[in-house]
Amino acid sequence: MTMALRWGLPAVVIAACVGYLIYSASGGSSEYYLTVSQLRAQAPAGDVRVAGVVQNDVQKSKGGLHVTFTEKDGTASMPVEYTGTLPDIFQPGITVVVEGRLGGDGVFHARTLLAKCPSRFSTQPYTQ
Amino acid sequence: MILGYLGAGALLAALVMGGFSALLSFWAGWRDTDVFIQVGRRAFYAAAAMTAIAAVLLEVALVTHDFSLAYVVEHTDLSTPIPLVAAGFYGGQEGSLLYWTLILGVLGSASLFASARIGARVAAYAAGILALILSFFLFVLAVVASPFDLLSITPPDGLGLNPVLRDGGMLIHPPVVLAGFASFAIPFAFACAALLAGRADAAWIRHTRRFALLAWSLQSAGLLLGMWWAYHVLGWGGYWSWDPVENVALMPWLATTAYLHSSQVQETRGRLRTWNFGLVILAFLLVVFGTFIVRSGVVPSVHTFAISAIGPWFFGFLFACIVFATALIAFRAGRARVDVEPAPAVSREGAFVLQNLLLIGVIAVVFWGTVLPLVSGMLGAERVVGAAYYERAAGPIFVVILALMAVGPLLPWRRAGRPSLRALRWPAATACVVLVGLLLVGVRSVPALLAFPLASAVAATVFTEYGRAFKKPRTILRKRRRYGAYLAHLGLVAVVAGVAASHFAQQEKDVTLQPGEQVTVAGYTLTYTGSEQRQLQDHTDFVAAMRFGDQTLEPSRATYAGLGGQALTHVAITTTPAADLYVVLAATGADGSASFRVFVNPLVTWIWAGGVVIILGVVLGNVGQRSAVPELARRRVPVTLPA
Repeated sequence: MTMALRWGLPAVVIAACVGYLIYSASGGSSEYYLTVSQLRAQAPAGDVRVAGVVQNDVQKSKGGLHVTFTEKDGTASMPVEYTGTLPDIFQPGITVVVEGRLGGDGVFHARTLLAKCPSRFSTQPYTQ
Repeated sequence: MILGYLGAGALLAALVMGGFSALLSFWAGWRDTDVFIQVGRRAFYAAAAMTAIAAVLLEVALVTHDFSLAYVVEHTDLSTPIPLVAAGFYGGQEGSLLYWTLILGVLGSASLFASARIGARVAAYAAGILALILSFFLFVLAVVASPFDLLSITPPDGLGLNPVLRDGGMLIHPPVVLAGFASFAIPFAFACAALLAGRADAAWIRHTRRFALLAWSLQSAGLLLGMWWAYHVLGWGGYWSWDPVENVALMPWLATTAYLHSSQVQETRGRLRTWNFGLVILAFLLVVFGTFIVRSGVVPSVHTFAISAIGPWFFGFLFACIVFATALIAFRAGRARVDVEPAPAVSREGAFVLQNLLLIGVIAVVFWGTVLPLVSGMLGAERVVGAAYYERAAGPIFVVILALMAVGPLLPWRRAGRPSLRALRWPAATACVVLVGLLLVGVRSVPALLAFPLASAVAATVFTEYGRAFKKPRTILRKRRRYGAYLAHLGLVAVVAGVAASHFAQQEKDVTLQPGEQVTVAGYTLTYTGSEQRQLQDHTDFVAAMRFGDQTLEPSRATYAGLGGQALTHVAITTTPAADLYVVLAATGADGSASFRVFVNPLVTWIWAGGVVIILGVVLGNVGQRSAVPELARRRVPVTLPA
């Protein structure tokens, strides 16, 4: 058996397996990452992630664990409903990424809610 | 003000020295002139020294609150405690680049210091490549993103530090990670230099081994500290979320882990030369790729990075590195081929190769998950993958790697005969016992039924090897590199157990309680005793106390009045032998009630302990270790005994 065959064959087999794993896993669990206006234009089936800015109408209930608010980008907006702990920096004006799906009632039911966490040391860039 | 001018001047001087060093060193390598080699190397030392001066100046500006510098204003204020003000050095974009450059300069100088003995030309090219990398960073620092930019008006106070970062973790996690990243450049430079000089022997591996180990150890510690910090600060009950920022730190670590294994094959058997060049180069390219991803904001992440002008520059640098490295491997690595008899697949070499291929597979999975938003965004609608993708795609590969860890160390070099196969009976028996035990307890999750038995088989393998060695205790010290590596394997077993337990058996509960009420999660009972407000130096703490046995847990919410009322939740964690109790204060009511999210995370402490053991095993195994293993490449080893 030649050297190439001896090491090349296992390499090809492993590459094929890894390729299949990547293909099957990303096919099954990838989600669209959209803006509010893109979601409004065309809502894909299944869960999506939507980024937008929290508006001034945040309402909390159930001891603060349930929240509704409007999420908006440049042109479109949508009501969002979420149950769970909120990120510390959650407040009107910040950008959040919600993961879930748009219901028939026009409300986005979020499974997870992430705030864009500022990795910068500063609170905001200094402008004069 | 004066610090700004001095700092900018020091950076410019460093850039000039760096460029000078690169030019001279390449010329010296090309023409093999001793004098120029030395001058080039000294110019590198000078560039490193100027960088160090710039770093000191920035630190002085921070600590003395020199608000004429934009960087000082943007990253600190008067109320921030001084250790955190000092940490502002590496807390922002420009400062972290300067820190990176500083580490590169210091470690680069150290690696060049004794490099002449591995051959004048290799040393010259290595100095040239290191000087080029250093000059690139200095150029970005001096021209594109300078930490010494001045403001036209000096404000009375700075903007202050984000509350999430006002934590002890800030003092240790970022510098370790960044130092880890910076140190990957050294094995890369020497590998490329060896290729340029046409040297295919293992001299560069021996010379850079301690730097590869340093890069690997720092990166391991950085990943571990990052997980620990996220777990204790972020309050979502986990430690790893497959965010692009985590992924790009994981990939070079995986590549270096592969290299630390495969370099042994070259050192002891003279094989896999081209492969080793490739792995070291891959690790460095992944570091540059990660830096580009993290600092350009091209993929969506929960971290928003300062989207600055340095993105395109890093892209250009990445492109140049890829072209350079690919060309080197394509045109020079052919010379590294050696004509040795191929080893049979079932042997120590075979196990190492398989492990390497599998680790590359994991890198491919993580890489695809990281760049998918970028690729899909170019082709149409942007798509993202979550934790489920990584678990489904990388999980099976990790299972095979675990199985290999149980088998590999028991296989001899060159060939596997009957005796070595017989050695496998202990790990196999252990795995079976654990499997049956788990089934009897009622575990039905297939991943858990694979992870725990295989991890225990790895442990059995390690103990088998230690058992053999204890008959001749002196061998442990003499071959401490090997037994240190086994210790690292044992640490990994603990990490796997911790990850699997906390992943498959985590429990959580959301609850709203009045003072005096109780909640029970997974058999742990907590009593809410009431809340109180505390005024501290720069924030107000709202504490909701929970009694657990004779301990009091104090999850709290801090409000920073000086930062426009920004809030920060402090998680309360208590560790029992079996699990962590992890309590987050979610909200408080006007009537004295409080809402909590309570997690029970089994065996999380095993992850931290195991991680420490992994690093200790590798470090202890290599302390005071002379690179004594001779390369056997030239010697042909008969595969079969003569009849």
